[in-house]
Amino acid sequence: MTPPATTRRTNLMEWFKTITFYEILVGMKSTLSHLLHYKPVTLQYPHEKRTLPDNYRGMLALLRYDDGTEKCVGCDLCEAACPSRVIRVVSAEVPGEPTKRYSKEYYMDMTRCLFCGMCVDACPVDALGMTREFEWAVYDKRQLHLNKEQLLAIGDRSYPVREKRLELQHPNTAFFNVAFKHIPQKPE
Amino acid sequence: MTELGLRLAVSFTQIAAVTCIVIVTVLLLTLAERKVLGWMQDRMGPMEVGPYGILQPFADAIKLFFKEDIVPAGANKFLFTMAPILALIPALIGFAVIPWGPNQSLEIGSFTIKPFIISDINIGILYILAFASIGAYGIILGGWSSNSKYSLLGGLRSAAQVISYELNVGLSIVGVLIMAGSLSLVQITDAQSGWFWNWYVFAFPAPQIFALVVYVISAVAETNRVPFDLPEAESELVAGFFTEYSGLRFAFFYLAEYANMVLVSCVAAAMFLGGWNAPYPGTLIGYLGLPAFAWVENTMWFAVKTYSFLFLFFWLRATLPRLRYDQLMRFGWKVMLPIALANIVVTAIAVFFYQQMK
Repeated sequence: MTPPATTRRTNLMEWFKTITFYEILVGMKSTLSHLLHYKPVTLQYPHEKRTLPDNYRGMLALLRYDDGTEKCVGCDLCEAACPSRVIRVVSAEVPGEPTKRYSKEYYMDMTRCLFCGMCVDACPVDALGMTREFEWAVYDKRQLHLNKEQLLAIGDRSYPVREKRLELQHPNTAFFNVAFKHIPQKPE
Repeated sequence: MTELGLRLAVSFTQIAAVTCIVIVTVLLLTLAERKVLGWMQDRMGPMEVGPYGILQPFADAIKLFFKEDIVPAGANKFLFTMAPILALIPALIGFAVIPWGPNQSLEIGSFTIKPFIISDINIGILYILAFASIGAYGIILGGWSSNSKYSLLGGLRSAAQVISYELNVGLSIVGVLIMAGSLSLVQITDAQSGWFWNWYVFAFPAPQIFALVVYVISAVAETNRVPFDLPEAESELVAGFFTEYSGLRFAFFYLAEYANMVLVSCVAAAMFLGGWNAPYPGTLIGYLGLPAFAWVENTMWFAVKTYSFLFLFFWLRATLPRLRYDQLMRFGWKVMLPIALANIVVTAIAVFFYQQMK
């Protein structure tokens, strides 16, 4: 039984394509067209940098209020939220103000951080922020163990505009930013 | 005695000039390959050293020169040292019989020299093939003496591959040899003068187009280039036979690979594409009334042909993935070899009847 004429023609075409390296020629045409219409998709990184997306999650930082006081109230929620156990907070009472707490020590082990942003979400007083810094390659891994001063410094250089401190929050009420009807709300 | 000294001096000058040209071409190629590959893959290639990265080869050379020279523990030190040299020397030595320009002689005192060929021996192409086979020893011994499994596997693959494909290289050019009736590259090139249809790719009575295809494919395989780069398959064998090499010895292997590329391109240009002959009879410079400078145009034509082959190497590398080992062997023995043999038979018959009819 002979195959139908169409099949035979297809087989002939296949055979012809094989002996003329048709597929290879198609591929080579493709590469050559890329060469002729040369438009690089890469950037010369250290010299030119791509624009980061608006919601870019970069290096973490601790923030301050506009009067220079730390926002952090030492509640440990960021430590609890962190999936990689990057954060360690040592909380303490503000001296002389027994109702108010602050973070006496605050450590971040950025070698483990996966930049998920859950600590920022968890923070009740918006004391944590994610900057747009990403060039944090270091020669010594220990330089990535950051303490409170370093994190505040990152925040200072990345967030020049600081949030206003609420009046009623000072001096001896440590409200989180939860909604209470009888105190002024944070401005939107 | 003085004549011998003069001859030696002339020969050494020629050798130095040719070696310099080859080394410069190799330097150029290392950059050109990375640039062309980059452009084909929508990248920029090296851009840091010098404007648009044009000084990258020199940076690479300096870097390789100052790298630590490591001999792995348990390596056969003698062969480990010899292997890069054994790979490089045959690659460079083949250029001795390549005619770079017109077959003209220069009278200096009592003897004549040929300025565009170091040595016009009458078995030129055989000489190149013979030394190309020795080059395979460098790769095999380099793989074996490194005392490393990756190197050994690379060397073994190289041995099998070079043997399979050298055969095809040798057989594919037999058609040209039948038509030219000579093994000397000078005479083969001279026989292709005139219009471009005298080139052996198109020449009557037996166009060697299939032979050219077989030759180019086998040459790619013989120089261990993509898509036949199984001896140095970096995704399988780290770097293949030169895994354990560093510094200058690595540079030697690198140099040998590129010099081999240039050599096979030169041979392809000389055997199939008319060598230094222009596609039209004579030269444009000759017609303009400066026949003394016709060699410039001839040399340029040779360079153009050679560089288009070299571009083909890059082009193939940018396009094709690596073959599997059994595919490589099957393709070599069951496809390339029969084509090459059939080409010999057809060419022989055609040439025989053509000469009978004349």
